[in-house]
Amino acid sequence: MDTMTLRDEIDALSQEIEAADLPSADEIEAFRIRTLGRKSGAITALFGRITEVEPSERGKTGQALNALKQQAEARIELAQAALTSSDGAERTDLDLTLPGRVPAPVEPGSLHPLTQTLEEIKGIFRHFGFDVAEGPEIEDDWHNFTALNFPPEHPARDMQDTLFVEPPPPDGRGIVMRTHTSPAQIRIMEQQAPPIRVIVPGRVYRNEAISYKSYCLFHQIEGLVVDEHATFADLKEMLHVFAQALFGDDVKMRFRPSFFPFTEPSAEVDIWWADETIEGGGRWMEILGCGMVDPNVLEAVDIDPERYTGYAWGMGVERMAMLKYGVDDIRLFYENDTRFLKQF
Amino acid sequence: MNISTNWLADYVEHDLSPDALADVLTMLGLEVESVETHGRDLTGVVVGHVLDTRPHPNADRLTLCDVDLGGESPVQIVCGAPNVAAGQKVPVATVGTTLMLPSRKTGELEPVTLSKAKLRGEESSGMICAEDELGLGTDHDGIMVLDADAPVGQPFAQYLAERGRTTSDSVLDIAITPNRPDAVSHLGVARDVAAVVDTLLTRPEIEIPQPGGEAAEMVPVEIEAPEVCHRFVGMIVRGVTVGESPDWLKVRLEAIGLRPRNNVVDITNYVMMESGQPLHAYDLDKVAGPRFVVREATPEEKLTTLDDKERTLPTGTVVVADADGASGIAGVMGGADSEISESTTTVFIEGAYWDPVTIRKTAKALGMQTDASYRFERGVDTEGQPWAVARAAHLTAELGGGEIVPGLIDARPVVPEPREVTLRPSRLTRILGTEIPVDEVKRLLTAIGFEIGDASVDNPDAGLNVVVPTFRPDIEREIDAIEEVARLWGFDRVPTPEATAVPYAPPHPDRAAQLRESVRSHLVGLGFRELYTNSLIPAPVAEAFADAELVGVEMESVETVNAISREMNALRPSLLPGLLGAMSYNQNRDAGALRFFEFGHVYGRADDPANAIEGYHEHTSLILGMSGPAQMSGGDQNERGTDFFDLKGVVEHLLRSLGIASIEEVAGLEANERTAYRLFLDYNGQRLGVIARTSDALGDTSDLQEPVYFAELDWDTLSALLTSQPPTRYTPISRAPAVDRDLAVIVGKTAPVGPLLSAIREAGGDLLQSARVFDLYEGDRIEADKKSIAFALRFGADKTLTDKVIDKRVRAIVDRLGRDHGAQLRQ
Repeated sequence: MDTMTLRDEIDALSQEIEAADLPSADEIEAFRIRTLGRKSGAITALFGRITEVEPSERGKTGQALNALKQQAEARIELAQAALTSSDGAERTDLDLTLPGRVPAPVEPGSLHPLTQTLEEIKGIFRHFGFDVAEGPEIEDDWHNFTALNFPPEHPARDMQDTLFVEPPPPDGRGIVMRTHTSPAQIRIMEQQAPPIRVIVPGRVYRNEAISYKSYCLFHQIEGLVVDEHATFADLKEMLHVFAQALFGDDVKMRFRPSFFPFTEPSAEVDIWWADETIEGGGRWMEILGCGMVDPNVLEAVDIDPERYTGYAWGMGVERMAMLKYGVDDIRLFYENDTRFLKQF
Repeated sequence: MNISTNWLADYVEHDLSPDALADVLTMLGLEVESVETHGRDLTGVVVGHVLDTRPHPNADRLTLCDVDLGGESPVQIVCGAPNVAAGQKVPVATVGTTLMLPSRKTGELEPVTLSKAKLRGEESSGMICAEDELGLGTDHDGIMVLDADAPVGQPFAQYLAERGRTTSDSVLDIAITPNRPDAVSHLGVARDVAAVVDTLLTRPEIEIPQPGGEAAEMVPVEIEAPEVCHRFVGMIVRGVTVGESPDWLKVRLEAIGLRPRNNVVDITNYVMMESGQPLHAYDLDKVAGPRFVVREATPEEKLTTLDDKERTLPTGTVVVADADGASGIAGVMGGADSEISESTTTVFIEGAYWDPVTIRKTAKALGMQTDASYRFERGVDTEGQPWAVARAAHLTAELGGGEIVPGLIDARPVVPEPREVTLRPSRLTRILGTEIPVDEVKRLLTAIGFEIGDASVDNPDAGLNVVVPTFRPDIEREIDAIEEVARLWGFDRVPTPEATAVPYAPPHPDRAAQLRESVRSHLVGLGFRELYTNSLIPAPVAEAFADAELVGVEMESVETVNAISREMNALRPSLLPGLLGAMSYNQNRDAGALRFFEFGHVYGRADDPANAIEGYHEHTSLILGMSGPAQMSGGDQNERGTDFFDLKGVVEHLLRSLGIASIEEVAGLEANERTAYRLFLDYNGQRLGVIARTSDALGDTSDLQEPVYFAELDWDTLSALLTSQPPTRYTPISRAPAVDRDLAVIVGKTAPVGPLLSAIREAGGDLLQSARVFDLYEGDRIEADKKSIAFALRFGADKTLTDKVIDKRVRAIVDRLGRDHGAQLRQ
C-alpha cells in the first residue's frame, strides 16, 4: 500500500469522526472502541501500518495520526460533556411534559437600574394618588403630533428627530415610533373626562446617532393633571415636592421658560447639583420639562379650556438614573453586561 | 445662535457680566448653553506716563523709568525696549497683574503674575508692555506708545474700548426655541435684555427712502407667486469697490463663527445677525434685464447655487429669476451667476418676506438649511425689510465707497393686518395661580414691543386689547401673551401655594402593575437579572423571528422608513434576539451562570382590531432565559448544566404563584432553524407562550457558546387573564385528614407524562387535591419498550373520606388512564 492511500484513509477517518452522531453513552463507548480501541480501533490500526510509508515521510504521517487521535478524543469529550446536561444536545426523545424543577439561585438576581429608578418615581406620584397608564409605542401622527399642537410643517417638529414606520402623507399615514409619552395623554383624555390625575411611563424613540449621551430610544415618565383649578403655581408645588422626595428636602430648583408645543407657558426645571470640584461649587442640571396644558390640546380632545386647565410634565428616566447612580454612558443601560447589572 | 456681548452692547446698556447676562437670558427662556470668552483679560493694565528715563547702572540694554500711574507718586519700572522715552503714554501692567507671556523653555503662552522685583539690582514695580504681551498683535519691536491725550491711570481696556478696539469678547451660545423667531438676532436678544434691566433698546437710526424713485425704475420687480413672496424690498448701491472688510466687521463676524468673505457679503451677514432679516446681494451687472421675477420654478429647472453646486429644483420651489432664468432659490440660497465678486461695482440688496411653510419645505426637499432659511421658516418681521435693506445699503456705501441710488423697491402683494389679542387679567391669574398687577402686565408687554390698544384703557375688566408686534408671528392667542408676561415677570416669582387641592379622583389599584412587580420579585429571588434591550434590530433578524412560534400571533415584521443604521432598521417581533444578544455578550466574557428576563413591547404588521394603530400589532412580552451551570459544585453537590426542566420549573413556579394551574402543554420535538425543541403553553385554548431550547444553528449565528433555554410569554394575555379573575375569597380549611395514595402505571416508553397527569386531574375530580409524578422507571423489571410512572395522589374533602370512596375514585382514574392512554396498572 502506498503513502497516498494511507493519507487518504486518515482523511476519510477524520471526516467520519467529525460527522459521528453520539447522542448516548452507549454510542460514545462504541465510537471509542471503533476508533481508539487497543485491539480493533481504526486509528490504532493505522499507527501499526506506519512502516508502509517511506522513511522520509514517516515523521509527517506520524503527526497526522497523532492529530487524528486527538480529534477522536476531543469528539468523545465533547459528546460526554453534552450528555452531562440531561438534554444538552438537540435531542428529540425528551418528554417535555415532565414536570420541571426549580433551580436554586446561583447568583442573586437584580432589577435593571432603569426599572428601579422608574419605580421610585412612580412610587412618589402614587403617593399623591396618581393613576398609571400606558400607551402604544407605534403611534399615529394625530396622537404624537397634531393633537399635541404640533402643526404640520412647523419647525417644532424638528425638535424631535422622528423615526417613521410609515412616511408622512401623501406617501403614507405618518405612522411613527412615538417620540415622547405625551400621545398617551391624548389617549387618556379621549377616554376619560376631567378631573384627570395620571402618570405615563414608557419607551420613546429618537432618530439620533448613538453616543455616550444619546441613544436611539429612552424612557420617559410623564404626568398630567386636568381640573377646574389647576394652575402654574400648583405645578411648581407638585414638582417641588417631587424633587424633594427624589433628591432630598433641601433641593434647590429653578423654573426657566422654555417651549413645548403642547404646553403654554412651558418651563424646564433645573436642580442645583453640588459639586465641589467645579467653579461655583456646583451647577444647574436640567431634570424635566413641564407647563400648563395648551388650550389647543384640550380642544383637540373636546375638553373646554375655559372651564378646565391642566398641567403636565415629563422627564427622562435614563437621565434621572444617570444622575442618581453616577452613570456617565447611556449605552451601558442597553449593553446588559452582568458586571454592570449586578451593581444595582 | 451665537451672540457676542460686545455687539449686544451696541443696542442695550447694562452692567451685567457675561455670566450674569447668561443667567438673565436663560431665565427669560433664551437658554444659554455656553459662554466662551475670547481675547485677553487686561485687568490691572493701566495707562502710564513716562516722566523720566535714565540708563540702568548695571545693564546696557535696560532703562530705568519713572512712570506716573495716577497714584500718589510715580513708580520705578525697568524697561528693556529700545523705544521707551520720557513723555510717552504707555500701557503698564501693574504689580499683581496676570499676563499671558511665552514660557522661556517652551515658548508656549502661560500665565505670569507680576510681582515687585529687582532687575540687576534695580527695583521694578510693573512692566511697560509691547503689543504682543497684551495679546493685541504680534509686534515685539518695542513698547506700545499711546495717544498723548490718554488719561493717566485709566484702565487700558477702557482706553482701547474708547478707540473702538475690543480686547475681549464673550460669545453666548443660545438655544433658540421655535416660538422665538424674534430672538435669532442681536437686536432681538437685546430687546429681552432691555425689558429686564428696564432700559431702552437702541436700534441704529437709518434713513429709509420712500418706495419708488430711480432704483425702482432701474430694476422692475414682478411677483408671480404672491402666496409665497409677501414682500420684496431692494436698494441699489453703485460705484462700490469690493474688498476686504474692515477689522471691526471681521472681528464681529468671526466672533459669532462666520467667515468673512468680502465687504458686501459681510455686510449682508452682519445685518442679518443684527436684525434677524436675511439679505441677499446681487451683482446687478450680471442680472439680466436688469429685472426680477419671483415665480415658481419650472419643472426640472436647474440652478447653480452660491456653494457652486448645480441643483435641480424640486416642485414647489420659488425662485428669484432675472430675464434669463433663476438667479436664486427664494429664502434659501442665492445663485452663483450673480454672485458678488471683486469686479462687482453695482450691488442690489434684496430683503424679502417668504412664507415660512414654503421655505421649510424647500429647504427640506433640497436638504440644505442655511442661516437664511432657518430664519424665514420661523417667520421674520413682516415690517423689517426696508430697515434692514437700508442699513445694509448705507454700510455698503460707507465701507465700499459707493453711492446709494435714490429710491427703494418695495413690491408688497400681501400686507398683513396688525394682530390683536385680548388678554384678560382674570385668565392670567387663573393660569398662573398668582396675580400680577395690570400696570405691571402693561409695562412688561410694552417693554418687548407690544402696544396696549386704546379700547382697554377705559374698561380694563374686559381684558387688555394687545397689539402684537410684527416681529412676533408666534403670538396668536391670549395664552401666548400670558406666557410672555409670565416669562418676563419670572417663573421663579410665582409663589407656590401653601396647600394644593388634589383633584377628586379615587386612586384605582393597578392590578396589572402589581402582577408585573410580583413577577419581577419572584424572578429576582430565583437569581434572574433584568435586561433592557434595544427594540430596533436588523431587518433580516426581525423577519426571521416574526413567527407565531415565538409570539403566538401571526404577523410580519415592521421596518422603519428612515433607519439610523442597517443594524437598527426594524422593530423586534420577539424579545428573543435581544436576549440572545445579551447571552452572547456575557457568554463571551466568561460570565458563567446566566439567568435573564425582560419585559418589553414586541411589534408586527397584522390585522389586529384590538390594536391602537390599524394594521399593526403590539403587545408586552415577557422573556426568560437561562444558560451555563444550573448548580455549582461545592459541598455535597456537583456542577450541573442548565437544562430544559430548570426553565420549565421556573415558568411553572411563576404561573402557580400567579394562581394559574392546569396549563395545557403541546410539545414540538422536531428541530427547526430557531429552536431544537419547544413546549407551547396554552390556557383555555389561548396561547400563553413557549419554552424552548435554541437550535445549534441559531447558536452559531447568534455567536452563543452554549445553548440558551428561553421562555417567551405573552404578558398582556396573561395579565388580562389574571386581572379578570374574581377576587380571592376564603375557603374554610377542612378539619378532616387528607389521604395519600400512590399509583404506578406502565405505558409506552415514548408516551408523554403530561397528558396522563391531566387525565388524572380530570378523573380525580374535586376530591383529588393534588397529583404529581414521583418516579419514572425503565429497565429489567418491565418490558423493554415500556416505562413505569409513579404518581403521588392526595385526596381530601370537608369530611373524612372512607377507603371505599377513595378506592372508587382511584379506580376511575385507572380506568381513564387505561381507556384513553393504554396505561396498565403496575402490580
